[in-house]
Amino acid sequence: MDNNDPRKAVIVVALVAVVCSSLVSAAVVLLRPVHLNNQLLERSRNIMQLTGLIEPGQTLEDAKMLALFKRLDVRMVDIDQGAFDGSMDPKTFDQRRAAGDPQLGVAVPAGRDLARLGTRSRYAPVYLVWDENQLQRIILPIRGAGMWSMLYGYLALESDMNTVAAASFYEQTETPGLGDQITRPDWLAKWRGRKVYDELGDPVFAVGPGRIAPDSSAALHRVDALTGATITGDAVTSLVHYWLGPHGFQLLLNQLREQPPTQAATAAGGDS
Amino acid sequence: MSLKQYVTAPLLKENPVTLHVLGICAALAITNSLTSSLIMSVALTTVLIISNATISLIRHHLPNSVRMIVQITIIASSVTVIDQLLTAYLPTAASALSVYISLIVTNCIVLGRAEACAMNHGVRRSIADAIGNGLGYSAILIFVATIRELFGNGSLMGVKILELARDGGWFQPNEMLMLAPSAFFIIGFMVWGIRSWKPEQREQPEFKSMVAPREVEGQ
Repeated sequence: MDNNDPRKAVIVVALVAVVCSSLVSAAVVLLRPVHLNNQLLERSRNIMQLTGLIEPGQTLEDAKMLALFKRLDVRMVDIDQGAFDGSMDPKTFDQRRAAGDPQLGVAVPAGRDLARLGTRSRYAPVYLVWDENQLQRIILPIRGAGMWSMLYGYLALESDMNTVAAASFYEQTETPGLGDQITRPDWLAKWRGRKVYDELGDPVFAVGPGRIAPDSSAALHRVDALTGATITGDAVTSLVHYWLGPHGFQLLLNQLREQPPTQAATAAGGDS
Repeated sequence: MSLKQYVTAPLLKENPVTLHVLGICAALAITNSLTSSLIMSVALTTVLIISNATISLIRHHLPNSVRMIVQITIIASSVTVIDQLLTAYLPTAASALSVYISLIVTNCIVLGRAEACAMNHGVRRSIADAIGNGLGYSAILIFVATIRELFGNGSLMGVKILELARDGGWFQPNEMLMLAPSAFFIIGFMVWGIRSWKPEQREQPEFKSMVAPREVEGQ
C-alpha cells in the first residue's frame, strides 16, 4: 500500500499502538510483584526509622528489618471514637481504599478539611513502640494534599502525646528540588522535640518562614520553612493540624494521655 | 564514514550536547550526583538504541503525515519499560532520579536522532549512531557530574573523597555546584573551550546587523 494512502497511516499507527501498549502492559504486569515488594520494604523501613529502635542512618538487611517490623505492636484505631478497635486486622487493612468506601470511609466536613482530603477512613493503623512495658512512641499515619500530589507520611509522638519524636513522608510527587525537600532527612530531623499542642490543647505546630529565637516559646512549635516550597510547607502545617485536630487523632491522644495503654501480652514477647 | 566513525564522531566532533546543545534539561538537573548521571547515561543510551533500531526497521512503512506520532509512541514506550525496570531493581537510585527518567521522552537527542538518522538509514548504521550519541551525551554528563559532586559535596558516587569542613575536615565545598545553574556554567565553559579548540564548530550568526541592510537599500 502506498505511504500516502490515509488508510495506511491509520493501519501503521494502530499497529504501533497495539505493539507498544502490549509491551508496556507486559512490563508493568510482570514487574508488579517486584514493585509491591519494594513498596512494602520501603514502607516498613520508613516506619522502623520512626520507632527509634534502629539508629538513624543505620541500614539493616531487608530480612532483618522486616522481621523487626513484623514484631511492632500495630493496632487499629476507630478515629471518631478515639479508641483502639480490636475487631479489625491492621495487617490487611487498606486505609487508602477505606477512605473511598461507603462503609469504612467518612466525609470530612468542608470547614474542617484542612488537609483537603474529601473523605477519610474511619479506621487507621497506629504503631506503638514499647520498651520494658513503657510506651516510648506512637506512630500515626498522616496525609494531605500538597501542591501537586497527596503527601503520605507518618508522625511519631513521644509518650506524652505532644512531643514530636520523628516524622517522615514516604510518598509524594511535589516539585523536584523544591517541594520534594520535605523528604530530606536533615529537615525532618528538625521536627524532633517540637510540641504539637499548646497549653490549651490546640494543635499549633507549624512550618514557617523567618528566623525566631531558638529559646522562645514560638520556636517550641515551629520548624523552619523550606526555601521554594512555601505551598508544600503550608500544606504540611495544615495536614498536621487536621490529623492532630478534633477530626483526626486528638480524641485518641487525649484518651491515651488520661489512660495510658498497656502493652498487649501477645506483642510483649516479640517472639510470636 | 565507516560504522566505527558513526560511533566516534558524536563523542567530540558532533557531540549532541556541546555542538547541537540538546538534552540540556536533564544534564542540568541530575548531574549533582555521579551515580544518577551514570544511570541516566545508561538509560538514555538504551532508549536511543531501541528507538533508533525500531524506527529504522519500519522506516519504509512510516507515512510522512504520522511519522512523529509513531516515533514518539516508540520512544515513550521504551522509556516507560526502562522506568519500570529501574524502579523495580534499583528503587533508591530511581527515586533519586524522580521524574527525569520519564522525561527522556522529551529529550531532544532521542527524537533528533530518530529524525536525522534512523528515518533515512539502515539498522546497523542507526544503531551505531545511537551508541555514538548515547556515549557522547554520557561523556558530558559524567564529566559535569564528576566536577559537581567532587567539589560540591566532596564525594564521588556517594563515597567521601574530600573531608568536608562541616564534618571536621579541611575542604570547604562550593554549595553552588549542588544547584542546577552550576551545570549551566560548566557546560557553557565546555562549549567555549571546545569551540576555541575546534573553530569549525562555531555557529554562523543567525541574523545580520540591522544597520547593514538599510545602507544597501538606501543606495
